[in-house]
Amino acid sequence: MATKLNWKIWLLIILLVITVFAIINPKSFSGDVMVKEIEANSSAEQAGISAGEIIKAINGAQIKSIGDYSEAISSMNLSENQSVRITILTDRQDYVFMTDDNLGIIPSAIPKTKLKTGLDLQGGARALVAPEKELSASEMQNLIEVVRNRLSVYGLTDVTIKDVSDLGGKHFMLVEMAGATPKELQELVGKQGKFEAKIGDIIVFEGGKNDIPLVCKNDAKCSYIEQCSEVSGGQACSFKFQITLSAAAAQRQAEATMNLAENISGGESWLNESLDLYLDDVLVESLRISSDLKGKASTTIVIEGSGFGATTQEAYDAAQKEMNRLQTILITGSLPYKLNIEKLDSISPALGTQFMRNIFIASIAAFIGVCLIIYIRYRKFNLVLPVIFTMLAEVVLILGVAALIKWNIDLVSIVGIVAAIGTGVDDQVVMIDESESTKSYTMKERIKRALFIIMGAYATVMVSLIPLWWAGAGMLRGFAITTGLGVTIGVFITRPAFGEILKRIKRE
Amino acid sequence: MEEPEENKVETKEEVEEEIKEAPVEVKEEKPVHEHQDHHAGTAPRGHEGAAPIHQHHEQKKHEEHHQKPVEKKPREKFNGSAWYDRNYKKLLILSLVIFAFCIAYLCIFYAQHGDIMKKDVSLTGGTMMTVYQDVNVDELSSFLGTKMGQECTIRKLEDITTRKTIAFVVQTEADAPTIRAALEEFLGYELNEDNSSTEISSASLAKSFYKQLIIAMIIAFVFMAIVIFLLFKTFVPSMAVILSAMMDILGALVMVDMMGVRISSAGIAAFLMLIGYSVDTDIMLTAKTVKRRGEGTLNSRIYSSLKTGLVMTPASLVAVLAAYFIVQSLVLKEMFLILSCGLFMDLIGTWLGNAAIIKWYCEKHKYT
Repeated sequence: MATKLNWKIWLLIILLVITVFAIINPKSFSGDVMVKEIEANSSAEQAGISAGEIIKAINGAQIKSIGDYSEAISSMNLSENQSVRITILTDRQDYVFMTDDNLGIIPSAIPKTKLKTGLDLQGGARALVAPEKELSASEMQNLIEVVRNRLSVYGLTDVTIKDVSDLGGKHFMLVEMAGATPKELQELVGKQGKFEAKIGDIIVFEGGKNDIPLVCKNDAKCSYIEQCSEVSGGQACSFKFQITLSAAAAQRQAEATMNLAENISGGESWLNESLDLYLDDVLVESLRISSDLKGKASTTIVIEGSGFGATTQEAYDAAQKEMNRLQTILITGSLPYKLNIEKLDSISPALGTQFMRNIFIASIAAFIGVCLIIYIRYRKFNLVLPVIFTMLAEVVLILGVAALIKWNIDLVSIVGIVAAIGTGVDDQVVMIDESESTKSYTMKERIKRALFIIMGAYATVMVSLIPLWWAGAGMLRGFAITTGLGVTIGVFITRPAFGEILKRIKRE
Repeated sequence: MEEPEENKVETKEEVEEEIKEAPVEVKEEKPVHEHQDHHAGTAPRGHEGAAPIHQHHEQKKHEEHHQKPVEKKPREKFNGSAWYDRNYKKLLILSLVIFAFCIAYLCIFYAQHGDIMKKDVSLTGGTMMTVYQDVNVDELSSFLGTKMGQECTIRKLEDITTRKTIAFVVQTEADAPTIRAALEEFLGYELNEDNSSTEISSASLAKSFYKQLIIAMIIAFVFMAIVIFLLFKTFVPSMAVILSAMMDILGALVMVDMMGVRISSAGIAAFLMLIGYSVDTDIMLTAKTVKRRGEGTLNSRIYSSLKTGLVMTPASLVAVLAAYFIVQSLVLKEMFLILSCGLFMDLIGTWLGNAAIIKWYCEKHKYT
C-alpha cells in the first residue's frame, strides 16, 4: 500500500479527529457533578463558589453522581437553626465555610457527550401555540419575550421558544421545555392571565408592574403556606402572600371604598363590598375589606388562596404551585394576546433512555447486514473494511456537526442519519462496480463516471428535502437537517476518501 | 450453485434470469438469482437439454470480468440477452399492470376511507397516550369502546430481546382529559408525566399539517423530476425514472395501506425520503445505459447495472428492515416500514419497468 496518503483521506482523518473532540465532553473526564446554579444570598455564594465548577467531594466523601450529592447533603442534617461546617472540594479549590439549610447549590450531572438530544429522547413538554390573531414579526418577538419572562418568573428557565411558520404562512410559537409538566405549560401559556381586582364594578388594580410594583415571592417573611387542615375529600393547605400597590392603584382603592357602608360580623367590622379577584374573567377569590381601610390609600394587600390534595403533602405541593402561579401572573401581567395551544406533547424521559439503547442495537444490526451483503457480493474483505469505515465515519461526522451547531437530535432525525448512511452505501457500491469494470479507463476516469451518478442522486435527495423546512410548522426540520447534512458530508468528504482507498486497493 | 446451462438461442425454452447469464461467466450469481425470483414473472427455472453452444457467444464476453470463472464451462448461455430481447416488453407490461393495480387499489381505498391513507392523531387531531405498562388489548379495547362511545386504536410496544410488552399506545379523536380519565379508571391509578406520555393535536392544526405535508411531497417530487430532466436531458429516459419513482412511492403506500398502518406526520416525511432514495438505482441504470452508448451491447450494460443495483437495494433493505424489527419507538418503526416497502417496490419499478422502457427506447432509436 502506498505510504503517502492522498489529501482526501487526510482530510477525512483530520475531520474525524476534530468531531470526536466536538462530541466528547472533556469536562466529563474531570468529574460527574457540577454546579449548575448558585442561589442568591446563599452561603455557597458568599463562600465564593460559582456556577460551572465541578464538585469532587463534600466533607471528604467523593461525589460521583447526583445521588452521591443528595446523600452527602442530607447526611449533614442542615437546618435553619444552626450552622454547620462544610468542606467542598471543586476542580478550582477547597471551600470551607459555615452553612445552614440555605446552602444554595443547584447541582447537575455532567453529560458524557456534548450531543443535545431533543425532547423525544430526554423527556419534557412541547407546545405549538397560535395567537388568536395574526401577528407581525415584531409583535411575535415581543410575545415570545413576554412568554419567556413569564416562564422564567415561574421558575422554568430551561425553555426554548421559537417563531415557526408552516407552508401556509401561519406563524406559531413553539415552546419546548425539558422536564416541565404539560399542565404547567397549559396554565402559563394557554391562559392569558388577565388579572383584575374589582370592588363592585370598578377595577381597582390589574396584574403587572404598573399597578403592582412589588409582589412578595420566595421570601418566607411575606409569602408562605399558612396552614393545612382536613376538608371533605382530603386535605387543604392555605397560602398567603403580600403585594404592594402603586400609589395610583392605592388611590383608586381609597376612592372605591370611600362610600361603602360598614357591617359588623364575627366581632369585626367589614365594608359591605369585597375585593373580588378575577383571573381571565373568572372570579377566583373574594377578600373581605376591613372597615379600617375605608377611604384609605392602603398600598399593602394580602392575597390568599389554597391548594387541595388527597394527602397533606399533595395539598402542600398544590398550594405551592398555585401560589407560584398567581405570583407569576401578578408580576408579569397579562399576556398581550389570547393564545391557543394547538399541539401539546409531553414525553416522559423513561422511554427516552430505553430508545437510545435500542437504537444503538438496531444500528449494529444494520451495519452487520450491510457488511454481509457486501461480502456476499464481492467476497473480498479488503472491500468490506473500507465500507464499514466509511459508514462509521459518516455517522461520527454527522453527530459531530450536530454537536457543534448544538442541534437537538430527536427521534425523527435518527431516521435521517440512517437514510444518509444508506445513500452512502449506494454510492460506494456504484464506485466499486465502476472500478471493477473491464474497460480501459484509469481509476481517475472511473471515479469520475461514478461521480455523475453520485452527484445526480445527491441532487435529488437534497431538493426533495427542501419543502420539509416549512411543512408541518418546521417540526420535521430535524429530519431534513440530519439527512441533508449526512448526504452532504458523505458526498463531499467521506465518499471521495473512499474512492481514494479504492484506488489504493486496486493498485495492489 | 445452479448455472443455467447452454441453450441455443433458437430454442424457445425459457430460462430464468437469462439477462444475467448472457454476458458474463459464472461469477457469484446466486444472490442475484434469489432477488430476481420474486419479481420476474418468468417461468420457473429449468435446465434445458444440452445443445451445442454457439461459439460466437464468446465474443459477448466483453463484459466486466469479475473473478475468474470457477468451474463454469466456457460455453455460456447467451440466451440471457436474446431472452431479454424477446421478453422485455412483457416485463414492461407486467410492471405497468402492477402500477395500474396500485392506482386502482388507491382509488378504491379512497372511496372506502375518504383518503389514500389511514392517518393517526398527528394528522387527524386527537390525543395519543403512551402508558408504560402491559395491558390486555382486547379488554381495554372493549372497555374504551363502551366508555367513550368511539373507536380507539390500541397498540403495544415490545422489547425485542425479552418480548415483554413495555408500553401500550392509545389513539383517539377524543380530547385528552376524557381519555385520561377513562384510562385511569381502567388502570386504577393516576396518569402523570412519569408513567405516561401524551400527544395532543387540535383537529384544525392536524388537518392543516396533513394538507401541507402532501403539498410538500408533491413539490419535492416536482423538484426531483426537474433534476432528473437536467441530468439526462432526454425525454423518455427521464420520464422512465420519474415513473419508476412514482411507482415506488405509490407501491409503498399500497403496501402500508394493506397492512392497515396509520400514517403520522413523520411517516409522510419517510415517503418524502423515498423520493430521493429510490431514484438512486434509476439514475444509476439510466446513466450506465443511455449515456454510455457504444460500450458493449445495451443488454450487457443493463445487466451490469442490474448487478450493481442488486447490491445497492438489498443492502439498504437489510439495514432498514433490521432497524424496523429492532427499534421500539412506534414512530421509527413506521418510518422504517415505509422505507422498506419503498425499497422493495424499487426492485420492481427499476428492474422490470425502468429497464424495459430504456430498452424499448433504445431499440426504437436503433441504439445498441
